[in-house]
Amino acid sequence: MGARAELELLLKASRLDVTLTSAAPWTHEARAVAPIGIAPLDAALAGGLPRGHLSEIVGPRSAGRTTVLAAALSAAAARGEAVALIDTADRFDPASAETAGLDLSKLLWIRDTGDPVRALKGLNLVLHAGGFGVVAFDLADVPAPEVRRFPHTTWLRIARVIEGSQTTAVLLGAERIARSPGGVTIALEAPRLCWSGTGDRARLLRAVDLRPRVVGGRV
Amino acid sequence: MLLPISHDPCRGGAPLAADPAAAAGLFACLRSTRPPGILMAVAREFSPRVERHGAGSVVLDVSGLGRLLGDAAAIGESLARAADDRASGIRVGVAPTRTAARLLTIAHPRLVVVARETAAALAPLSLRTLGTLLDEGGWVPGDSRAQAVARARATTARLEAFHRWGLTTLGDMAALPADALAERMGQEGLLLQRLARGADVAPLVPDPGTPRFLESIDLEWPIDTLEPLSFVLARLLDPLSAALERADRGAAALRLDLRLVNRTTFARVLQLPAAMRDPRVLRTLLLLDLESHPPPAAIDVVTLELDPAPARIIQYSLLERALPSVETLATLMARLGALVGDTRCGSPALLDTHRPDGFEMRRFAPDTRSPAPAGPRVPGAPADPPAGTARPPVLRRFRPPIAVRVGVERGRPVRIAIDRRGMPGGDIAQQAGPWRTSGAWWDGAAWDRDEWDVALVDGSLCRLFHDRQLDRWFLEGLFD
Repeated sequence: MGARAELELLLKASRLDVTLTSAAPWTHEARAVAPIGIAPLDAALAGGLPRGHLSEIVGPRSAGRTTVLAAALSAAAARGEAVALIDTADRFDPASAETAGLDLSKLLWIRDTGDPVRALKGLNLVLHAGGFGVVAFDLADVPAPEVRRFPHTTWLRIARVIEGSQTTAVLLGAERIARSPGGVTIALEAPRLCWSGTGDRARLLRAVDLRPRVVGGRV
Repeated sequence: MLLPISHDPCRGGAPLAADPAAAAGLFACLRSTRPPGILMAVAREFSPRVERHGAGSVVLDVSGLGRLLGDAAAIGESLARAADDRASGIRVGVAPTRTAARLLTIAHPRLVVVARETAAALAPLSLRTLGTLLDEGGWVPGDSRAQAVARARATTARLEAFHRWGLTTLGDMAALPADALAERMGQEGLLLQRLARGADVAPLVPDPGTPRFLESIDLEWPIDTLEPLSFVLARLLDPLSAALERADRGAAALRLDLRLVNRTTFARVLQLPAAMRDPRVLRTLLLLDLESHPPPAAIDVVTLELDPAPARIIQYSLLERALPSVETLATLMARLGALVGDTRCGSPALLDTHRPDGFEMRRFAPDTRSPAPAGPRVPGAPADPPAGTARPPVLRRFRPPIAVRVGVERGRPVRIAIDRRGMPGGDIAQQAGPWRTSGAWWDGAAWDRDEWDVALVDGSLCRLFHDRQLDRWFLEGLFD
C-alpha cells in the first residue's frame, strides 16, 4: 500500500493522477462546471461544460452551434469571467452575439483569415496565458480534411494544457473532432424554426428551437 | 485650513460625472508669487514626480506618502509646514487630481485638503479660477508653451460665453448636460467641463530635473539577430527594474534606441497598458515588438529608457474570479498581434450606427467591476433566460458578403445558387422580409439594401440582401 500511495503522490505531483481510475473518482458534485445558460442542456450536462477539459459542439450548418457557443460565452462573461474566441474564418458577428447577451468587453476575439494552423497557435497562446473561463476554437467553416490533418496529439496537448485549471476549452465543428476524457460532445441536429407574424411582409425569424444531444462524457 | 466638504445629492442640475477622486492618486499643488526655485525645492523634498505650471505653480504626486505621513490632511499639513519653513505665503492644496489641486490653490489663500467628493468641493468656486488655470497652460497633452497660450486665448472666449449664459461657478458648468454642451461648443466645451469637474485631461509630465531611468550599452561587436539582443536587453532591464522598484515606480512606456552600423538610429516606443517592472515581461514585449519591426541593419549601441509611473497596488478578491494579470495580457496581446496582426485581436465594440457589421476593435481589458449585461443567461439571475431551448439565432457573417444568384418570383426570393463549394443553395422554403435599411448617403460609404431571412429546403438558414445601388444579391451570413 505504501508503494502505491507513493506512486499516486508522484503522479499527482506531475499532474498525471487522472490516469488512475481509482485516484480521481468522478462524481457530479465534485466536478467544476461552466453552465451554458440553456436549462435543458445544462441539466443534460449535469451543470454545464466541465472545467479543465476540452469539449466540442458539433452539428451541420444552421444547427445552432454558434447559438450554443454564444450562450456559453455569455453565461461565463455574466459571471465576470474573461472569455476568448479563436475565430478561424472570421465569422463571428458581434451584434447578434450581444443580442444573445454577451458582454463584448469580456471577449477576446482573435480573427484569423482562414489559416487553421495559425489559429491553433493563437489557441495555444491563449490557453497558456490562463485566466480565461471559456476559450472557444471555431473550426466550423474549416473543411473537414484540413481539420483531420491536425495530428491527434494536438488535442491531447491542448487537453493537457488546461487540465486542472478553471478553463473550459470548446471546439466548434461540423463533425466530431476531439474531446478530453472528461469533456463532452454536444451534437446538434436541425432545429425547429420559430417564425412570428402573419402574412408575407410581417413574418420574422424569432428563434431557433435547438435540438441538442449530449454524447459521451462522464455525466 | 481643512475645507469641510459636504455632499448634497439633491443639488440641482444634471448628475455630475464620475468623481475623479475615485482614482487612486493623490496630488498636491504649491502656489506662490515667490521664485519657482523655492516651490521646486519644497516639492522635491516630498516627491520625485514634480510638474511645473507657469511661474508660480508646482504640482507633485504624493500618492505614495500615505504610509509615511498619514492621510491626505496629514500630507497637506506636512507640506504646509515645509513651505512655511522656506517662505511665507505659499498656498498648498491636496486633492485626488492635479486639476482639482490647482483650482483649489487658486481659490483658497491657505492650506486646503480635499480627499473625496472633488466635484462638490470645486462646485462653489468661481469660473474665474478656471480662467487662471487656463492661463498657466499645461492642461492639454503635447501642448508647447506657445500653443498653450494660443489655446488659452481661444478658451477665454468660451469662458465669456459661459458668463453670458449666466453661469458663475464651476458647479454650474459641471452640471451642464454634456450632449448639449458638445453640440454648442464641440470637444473644447467638453474639455472645459472636465476641467471644471476637476478631472485631469493630460498625464503628469515630470520636470526634466526628475531622475531618468536610462541605461545604455556600447557593443563590442554588432548584433544582427534577436537572440543575442535578448541577453543585452536583460542586462539593461535588470538594473532599470531594480531602480524602479527602489523608487516604487513601474514603467508606463519603454523607449528603445538602437544605434545601427549604418549610422542611423532605429527607435521603438512601447506604451504599456499598465505600469509594470518585471524585467522578463518587459524584455518579452520588446523582443516581440522587434520581431514585428526588425531593425534594418546590425546594432552597435542599445539605449533603453523607461518612463516611470506610480506602481500598481493590486488587491485580489476571494469573491471574484481572477482574470489574467495585466502583465500576462500585455504579453499575450503582443504575441497575438505578432501572429495575426494588431488590428485582428481585441474586444469588439459596436458602433452607434445601423450600418451592417458596424463595429470596431478595441484593446482587450476585461474589468470585473463592469456591470453584467441586461438579461444574462445565468440561472437564478433576475432576468432568467427562457426555460426551453429556443434562442434567437446567431449569425455567422461572411466578410465580405458573397455574391449569389437569386431567383425572384412576385418580388420574393424563391431559390439561390452560389458558385462556391461548401455553400448552401437550392429552393427557399420560407422567407421573411424585406427589411429595408439605408444610410450614410451623405458620404461615400452609403448603403441601401433589402434584407431577407430565408430557410432553404436543405435546412440552411441564411440572411440575404439585395443591394439596391448595385442591383445585386449577396449572402450576408448563415444563422447557426
